[in-house]
Amino acid sequence: PGVLGQAPPPAPEPEAALAAELSARRSAEARRLVLSPRRLSGPLPAGLSQWFPALEVLDVSGTGLTEMGTELLSLPCLHTLLAKNNRLGGPGSLPKGLGQAPLARSLRVLNFSGNRFSEMPPALLQLRGLRSLSLGGNRLHGIPPDIQELQSLEFLYLGGNFITAIPPELAKLPSLRYLVLCDNKIQSIPPQLAQLHSLRSLSLHNNLLTYLPREILNLVHLEELSLRGNPLVVRFVRDLTYNPPSLQELAGRTVKTRSVPYAPSDLPDSLVRYLSLASNCPNPKCGGVYFDSCVRQIKFVDFCGKYRLPLMHYLCSPECSSPYSSASQSSTSQSESDSEDEASVAAHRMQKVLLG
Amino acid sequence: MMEQPVQTETWKARSLEELVRILHQIFAEDKVSVDEVQALMESYESNPEEWLQYAKFDQYRYTRNLVDSGNGKFNLMILCWGEGHGSSIHDHTDSHCFMKILQGNLKETLFEWPGKKGNGEMTKKSERVLRENQCAYINDSIGLHRVENISHTEPAVSLHLYSPPFNTCNTFDQRTGHKHKVTMTFYSQFGERTVCATGVPQENN
Repeated sequence: PGVLGQAPPPAPEPEAALAAELSARRSAEARRLVLSPRRLSGPLPAGLSQWFPALEVLDVSGTGLTEMGTELLSLPCLHTLLAKNNRLGGPGSLPKGLGQAPLARSLRVLNFSGNRFSEMPPALLQLRGLRSLSLGGNRLHGIPPDIQELQSLEFLYLGGNFITAIPPELAKLPSLRYLVLCDNKIQSIPPQLAQLHSLRSLSLHNNLLTYLPREILNLVHLEELSLRGNPLVVRFVRDLTYNPPSLQELAGRTVKTRSVPYAPSDLPDSLVRYLSLASNCPNPKCGGVYFDSCVRQIKFVDFCGKYRLPLMHYLCSPECSSPYSSASQSSTSQSESDSEDEASVAAHRMQKVLLG
Repeated sequence: MMEQPVQTETWKARSLEELVRILHQIFAEDKVSVDEVQALMESYESNPEEWLQYAKFDQYRYTRNLVDSGNGKFNLMILCWGEGHGSSIHDHTDSHCFMKILQGNLKETLFEWPGKKGNGEMTKKSERVLRENQCAYINDSIGLHRVENISHTEPAVSLHLYSPPFNTCNTFDQRTGHKHKVTMTFYSQFGERTVCATGVPQENN
């Protein structure tokens, strides 16, 4: 982001002169108005909606706007607003009452890229008809859970910000086809994102991801996926250390894998309970079971026939590896309760998992 | 066949049409100079009116739009890159590749060819941002590259010449060096949108 070879901006125009010129150019039929690259000294000129009542496309990119102004509320049928490379981002950037304005229903495309938003303005989330939203190259630190209000959203561009986490509510956008999160500071992807069944393109390059949740495999319509520039896996396969299983665990495994017959009267209740907790090793070529000693590993797995992604896998011992693995193995001694939230595991360590 | 000829012309292409005409002239000869073509491409000052008809963007990824098929000697095409769009690391199937920026900026990252085993992170050689009207050149002996529009606000347009023409190449996984052959398709040809079959592996990341 930033200015690469752009010419210095022209001097701001006096509001009265601009108003006079636009008034002279008034048209009842005109659907498009481009004010770029002129420099505006204030918000959108009052009277705009009267001079151009049929306006559908308004381009005020690169005009130096610090606030859109209330005239926006009067535009009756605007469907595309391009306001990139301005100075929007402060508290008054969007006018009050946006949710009740005609814009809230008519606006389909909004481009606020290259501005100074450090958070998504709540008013934005009232634009219920919005199909395409770009806030690329701003200063966003997060995504509000209320993003789910934009139920018609198909295209969401948030590349080039400072986003550290993705709220699971983002997954509640049923029409989302294109999601760009590249060039941020994202450390993990919530597994709920797999519910974005319309997603066709996902851009995650240049973030801080060390792994992806295995639910990503459910995104069968995904055709484009970018992952480069993430510290994926390779480094912490080397960090693996392993604690051998207990005698109880080894005995339990033998009972299960050799189908040694037993009845509740043969064993203390606690051991009967213990034996019922056996889980099958997810390695399809291994017939083994495990109880409470698991090697949690990150493995590369083929996905959509194109990419090898690191996913969280549970394996019963370092020797038991998935068909795709060639990594050397060991595990840390840190224990942790059986967890659903793989996403919260620190990516640079391997965890021993205790079940039950 | 490209070699250093005895004399190199200094061309100035004053329009896209003229550029194409001079290219036909140059490539009609037995020997063509890389420097001559690069200088010719660079001499053309991008005028959007002349190439807008070929500049068809796609929402999801960059597009390849054929401009001229060079009597079979070369392909001239325009690539359109939306914000954040990038290519995979790829080779050039023993052909010469010229890339001129018509609008915006493109980042080119050069990579070494992976080792025989292809088992390890690929080595970056260098990177640069190409500006409007600059023309870069690459072939397989120089290395592999990734091209991307790193802007989050501006689309980019580039003019590419490949000689001889080719429609398959290898893409490379940066993490492992593993390569994968892909077929490249045209989003449009001579200004007309082409509809191609889905399911064909697309050149991507």
